[in-house]
Amino acid sequence: MPIPTHAARGAHLNLRGLSKRYGGRTVLDAVNLKIEPGEFVAVVGRSGCGKSTLLRAIAGLELPDAGSVKIGGADDSGRDPEVRMMFQGARLLPWKTVLQNVALGLADGGKRARAALDSVGLLDRAGDWPAALSGGQRQRVALARALVHEPQLLLLDEPLGALDALTRIEMQRLIEALWTARGFTAVLVTHDVQEAVALADRILLVEHGRLALDLDVNLLRPRLRGESSFAAMEGRVLARVLDLNQAA
Amino acid sequence: MRPAAQTLPAAARPARPASVKRLLVPLAPWALPVFLIVAWQIASRTGVLSSRILPEPLAVGRAFYDLAASGELWTHLRVSLWRAAAGFGLGAALGLALGLLNGSSRRAATLLDTTVQMVRNIPALALIPLVILWFGIDEAAKLFLLSVGVFFPIYLNTFHGIRAVDAGLIEMARSYGLSGWPLYRDVILPGALPSILVGVRFSLGLVWVLLIVAETISAQAGIGYMTMNAREFLQTDVVLVGVLLYALLGKAADLAARALERRFLRWNPAYR
Repeated sequence: MPIPTHAARGAHLNLRGLSKRYGGRTVLDAVNLKIEPGEFVAVVGRSGCGKSTLLRAIAGLELPDAGSVKIGGADDSGRDPEVRMMFQGARLLPWKTVLQNVALGLADGGKRARAALDSVGLLDRAGDWPAALSGGQRQRVALARALVHEPQLLLLDEPLGALDALTRIEMQRLIEALWTARGFTAVLVTHDVQEAVALADRILLVEHGRLALDLDVNLLRPRLRGESSFAAMEGRVLARVLDLNQAA
Repeated sequence: MRPAAQTLPAAARPARPASVKRLLVPLAPWALPVFLIVAWQIASRTGVLSSRILPEPLAVGRAFYDLAASGELWTHLRVSLWRAAAGFGLGAALGLALGLLNGSSRRAATLLDTTVQMVRNIPALALIPLVILWFGIDEAAKLFLLSVGVFFPIYLNTFHGIRAVDAGLIEMARSYGLSGWPLYRDVILPGALPSILVGVRFSLGLVWVLLIVAETISAQAGIGYMTMNAREFLQTDVVLVGVLLYALLGKAADLAARALERRFLRWNPAYR
């Protein structure tokens, strides 16, 4: 298991017996999961398998029917760690400027928001309305907004799904760079297996409400898409997700 | 080898100078009204249009001038404006307050909305006999009619605006620590504002229509009174002055509403 290099700045996560039902359907079935500080975990699976529900349960946006979610601060100071989420759409407030959006929820705003905006390379668009930005730029603003609070846990709910392939790769590099620099714990839900292999230390597969796969990704960073080890890992995970190895 | 083309393509022909275009474009919407007025004047002068049916534009202009010079116009205008402002203010304030309440609180909506909808379907103008019975024929009756008429569009649009705020944005804001008043101020109210302004714009137009009727309920002053009086004395040019004033005031109100939209909805590409 790759040793997280910045353990002190990430939260640790402990899910025990987490269950969630919608109507008669069991979406999550007694899930147990432990995530170490500073880990980058990707959750993959087919559409509707429950991976988004899992993330939303961690975020507190859904109340589990059974089980518990414990998020512990890395420094054991007793304070609740900051948890921030990136959604599938950027969800920027259209009536606030880019800078005002980044400063959402900040008491003093200003300087820290500018610094966060600079770290995603959009400081020159600080005074624009979100409607003037492209989809990729809006997600970058959303990323800055999430990071300005210096979260110890960053949850990403398929934030790159609506972007074109090239923008997606640039965003992945940006997220990886910021994660390396700041050392928060990251949980990324994605349908793109290649994205999971490119970014994550550990890949989880959600199938029928359970964790069907928990795989360490031992590739060295920076990870190059063309390399055989990358392709082998991707092929292996994809085959498992699509159940290609099972007899019909 | 083919010889080079001798004639210029159409796109390279010299276009009309930009300065001339800039002058003509804002004037274009006025071309038809001006044409109609000129045609009207000619028809009146040549006798095609009898002065009993429609006085000529110059006569209307003269009546306008006389009324303005004698001070009568300003008195009537001031009274009408006061009534419109008071009626709009009261109706809008109540509509806004109730719309915000019912939109934000499910419990309030369950208790109050059905009643509001039932009352809404009673045409305000059909209430006139009742209104006269309750309030007499002085200002209170007119104020009541105007407020009731203005109330419903603003209530409906405010209610709908609050309910239609993007739930995803509210969820995001909550997850970023916003709740209570900051959530209302930063997410819910701005999200409802486009719809609220539609209600305001509609009501600003409606208030003039209602004013015309309200001022026929035995007024002592006001544009409607001036118009009715003139009708009784067969002063058709003064009647037209009254009609013109209503039209101008309605247009001014609409411009005010548009200015509000441009100011508060700057962020929306659809409103620029």
